[in-house]
Amino acid sequence: MKNKIKVYRAMHDLTQEDLAKAIGVTRQTILAIEKGKYVPSLDLAFRISRHFKVNIEEVFSYDEEVRTADIK
Amino acid sequence: MQKNIFYLVIGFVALALLLIFWYSIESFTPVLSMIAFVIGVVIIYVAYRKVDDFIEDERSARITEKAALRTFQVFWVCFCAFSIMAVMNLLYLPHFSREHWFDRASMPLSMEIMSPKMIGYVQLGLLCLMIFLYVGFRFYYARKYGDWETDEE
Repeated sequence: MKNKIKVYRAMHDLTQEDLAKAIGVTRQTILAIEKGKYVPSLDLAFRISRHFKVNIEEVFSYDEEVRTADIK
Repeated sequence: MQKNIFYLVIGFVALALLLIFWYSIESFTPVLSMIAFVIGVVIIYVAYRKVDDFIEDERSARITEKAALRTFQVFWVCFCAFSIMAVMNLLYLPHFSREHWFDRASMPLSMEIMSPKMIGYVQLGLLCLMIFLYVGFRFYYARKYGDWETDEE
């Protein structure tokens, strides 16, 4: 799963801490999602995209290769 | 309650338990240790529930879940493998073996590999191994899910 959280954060002038507080997770979780270390649940993905007032597909995109690597 | 106070509570409970265990061993009152341990765990659990500034999100829940599952998967194999041996040892299997079925006199008197006391110690050791396994797996999954990632921010 690829994401553009970092881009949207920059556009909204938000730090990882700000975003984390706003959606009720830790800063480490935001960092892990941005770096592709953790794939968020659908619920969290929706919360993040709603926070930026965009559709979920605009923030997250499916990547077959990354998904396969994640399963292994 | 703040996180730091919670850690202080854990410290006090650990210290109190250490003293109680010491007294319990000196006076040979194992029941005291048992009761103290249960009370200690209950105190820590109650204190944990009163902490406000712990943020437990889905990633930390997933780390805990994965670590617990892997610990269980490894632990039950080790524990069952040892327990099979222990049960065979305790039930003295040669009684049922075909080799000595018709000639009971040829049966060896003792085939004990390990004394019941030793079995207890090893099982206790395996329980301790479970704690180490859990901590190890927790570190592994915390690292896998980006706990020690650094960023330019």
